[in-house]
Amino acid sequence: MRRFARSTEMTLLAICVVFFVFLVIASKGDLVSANSLRVLLQFLAVPVLIGLAQMVVLAVGQLNLAVGAIGGFASAAMGVLMADHGVPVPLALLIGFLLAAAAGLVNGVLVVLTRINGFIVTLATMTVLLGVQYRLVGTRTVDAYPQGLKDFGSFALFGVLPLIFIVALIVAGALSVLLRRTVPGRQLLASGGNPIAARLSGISNDRSVIIAHTLSGAVLGVAAILTVASSPGVNKSIGGDWLLPSFAAPIIGGALLTGGSVVVLGTVLAAFIVRFVDTARAEFSLEPSWVNFVVGAVVLGSVVLGQVRTRRQQRRTVVKAPDATVAGGVS
Amino acid sequence: MTLFQAEKVEKVFPGVRALDRVDLALEAGSVHALLGENGAGKSTLIKVITGLYRPDGGRLLLDGREVSFGSPHESASAGIGVVHQERNLIPGFTVGENILLQKLPTSRGLVDRAAIRSEASRWLAELELDIDPDQPVTELSVAQAQLVEIAKALSIESRVLLLDEPTASITPNESALLFRVVDKLKNDGRAVLFVSHKLEEVFQICDTVTVLRDGASVLSGGALSDLTRDQVVDLMVGRTHEALSLPPRAVDRDVAPILELAGVSTATGHVDVDLAVRPGEIVGLYGLVGAGRSELAKALLGLDRITAGEVRVRGSAVRIRNVRDALRNYKIGYVTENRKEEGVFLEQSVSRNIAVTIWDRLRKALGYVPAKEETSTVATYVEQLGIRIASPAQHAGTLSGGNQQKVSLAKWLAAQTEILIIDEPTVGIDVRTKDAFHTLIWDLAANGLAILLITSDLPEMITLADRVVVMRDHAVQGELPNDHDYDRMSQQVIRLIHAEGTTAA
Repeated sequence: MRRFARSTEMTLLAICVVFFVFLVIASKGDLVSANSLRVLLQFLAVPVLIGLAQMVVLAVGQLNLAVGAIGGFASAAMGVLMADHGVPVPLALLIGFLLAAAAGLVNGVLVVLTRINGFIVTLATMTVLLGVQYRLVGTRTVDAYPQGLKDFGSFALFGVLPLIFIVALIVAGALSVLLRRTVPGRQLLASGGNPIAARLSGISNDRSVIIAHTLSGAVLGVAAILTVASSPGVNKSIGGDWLLPSFAAPIIGGALLTGGSVVVLGTVLAAFIVRFVDTARAEFSLEPSWVNFVVGAVVLGSVVLGQVRTRRQQRRTVVKAPDATVAGGVS
Repeated sequence: MTLFQAEKVEKVFPGVRALDRVDLALEAGSVHALLGENGAGKSTLIKVITGLYRPDGGRLLLDGREVSFGSPHESASAGIGVVHQERNLIPGFTVGENILLQKLPTSRGLVDRAAIRSEASRWLAELELDIDPDQPVTELSVAQAQLVEIAKALSIESRVLLLDEPTASITPNESALLFRVVDKLKNDGRAVLFVSHKLEEVFQICDTVTVLRDGASVLSGGALSDLTRDQVVDLMVGRTHEALSLPPRAVDRDVAPILELAGVSTATGHVDVDLAVRPGEIVGLYGLVGAGRSELAKALLGLDRITAGEVRVRGSAVRIRNVRDALRNYKIGYVTENRKEEGVFLEQSVSRNIAVTIWDRLRKALGYVPAKEETSTVATYVEQLGIRIASPAQHAGTLSGGNQQKVSLAKWLAAQTEILIIDEPTVGIDVRTKDAFHTLIWDLAANGLAILLITSDLPEMITLADRVVVMRDHAVQGELPNDHDYDRMSQQVIRLIHAEGTTAA
């Protein structure tokens, strides 16, 4: 499995490099200018985070339809707190972050308590939060918050590395360590990989589900902070287009939809690829709708590819031990 | 010394007394067999011991002190290790992580990989297993996975080990490795409970035995050396069990085969397989698990690619594309070995389960299926096979294993197949139902069906087959006419399997 994951990452890295070189050539070298690179990375920070937010929930074998709603709601809350109520920036951001994490926690607790499918639960909380977001900002665009925050949002190290991108990478690194090297992280993956075995090993699947959803909310809280900092203002449409990219990144990145196996680096690289599609669109001045079309097709393609690979891998083990019924399987 | 004891344990489910004052005592340095037909209460007893169920009466004693477990975690902490019937490994994890999953070692808050490696190696070495702790479990063979689970059960420093049908899915060769491990556990002074349907194994490795029948322990702690196989079977079934003997059935050797394979090779690794089945004949396909028998059946049905050779049905060469094609155009049915996963729709009524293959035939305009014809067809087969149900609307999931298997078979009979491939029909089915099944299969052949019987159960093969084709490593090793003399036949078959070198394990 790990070798398989590694090969996925290598493939993605290769695709990234090829795509990037292609774009550099297509733009006649313009893309390697400091300014273009900065913009590219600037717009990558949030997609990386929302991909990771979906990824942790996929890890435990669930999904989160409320990624956009949680992010949008938290962004709106932060904007309104600062602009309408004069709450100091750090406090407003902290409150927004905690609200997002709490929303994730609520998702997890609801799934565990009601035993209702996470799909339905997050669909419901998504709708509720969209309502709250609209209630908070209505049709206006809230932008009267301190310049300092906007400066943070647009600051780039050496004029190339946006601060918010670095924040996204730090979150990715932290998640990677958490999933690979900490007991709650390992337990979360164990619950996703084989819930029965996990339970019989004394692992609480309920706790894993709650942790995963809460983590998802927390990551979305960070995404919301970066969104508020880097956008000209906050309105009701923030988060509205997060759902597809949130699935695209982890799935292209090599996560198993059945849970138990996710790839942080793959998710980050996949976010790059999705971003490149968008860049290419701009470069060739195609219609924006093409991006959704291409990303949707790529997601479908990676799922199919993953399936084929899994099947081939199984066939290999089949020759070795035909009646193999290893725990839940990798399918 | 008695390590663990269950005294007059009771467990009542609505309407059923699953355990009725069961006594069980596990001694240190001894392997204790737990026997009983399906539904006798073996699994319930294990679940009570491990804390998945709370007993409704009686008590559990560990080291002579009364204990009560609220969860599997608590029983594990007390030193009771279990290897469940289902495989319980986490697919994305390494062998080491799986072994130590219950208590992952950490240093400064992080999972300590070096500690996992050394700790897991210790338990693997304890079982004298040559498995790399860093290997992903998905790369293990079924038997290796089984042994890793034992290492996992040991890793909690367990002194009492419960093994629930550990040999159900592994080959005899691989079982030998498992038995060596069990022997070692015993010599190290642990108490082992061994649940199995295979009496040969039980007599081979167990010292004492408890037999459950209808939830009660009809024998508790008897020495196996004082018992014969027949006595044990009698205790299990509660009557004197006579070995089933079916009247000889004449197969007309001059009739042309209805199904023929000539030099067939497949994508799953079969090489140059020749095989023929005549109408009214039962051809047994015998081999160790992993010899490629089920895979051959699946290739025949078009589920895997045939790369060379020819399949002939009723004399003409055919290319079967899928199960639907096999059924509609060639009247071939396949009764799968994985009854629960592939054989029946557990959440659907018995009626639908049986009728699933005939809807195409019954359908009128716009795909409408007349309920009356469906009901009558279903009723016919429910009666013919003696499927015990309250009503055809009963969910298949609520039936016993034997009845589910009958449902799985009934749908192919309802489809009026002429060639039936039956894969491991009696795995996990109790002795009495097994006999009924054998009679049934025999009757089907007597009525002219051509049957290809895949089984790993040698007595079953020798009871039923007219000819035995022995497979090994995806190739036909030889063919034997069956003279129904168990001793002679079993020797010949085993000799064929081990004809040259050793088989892949």
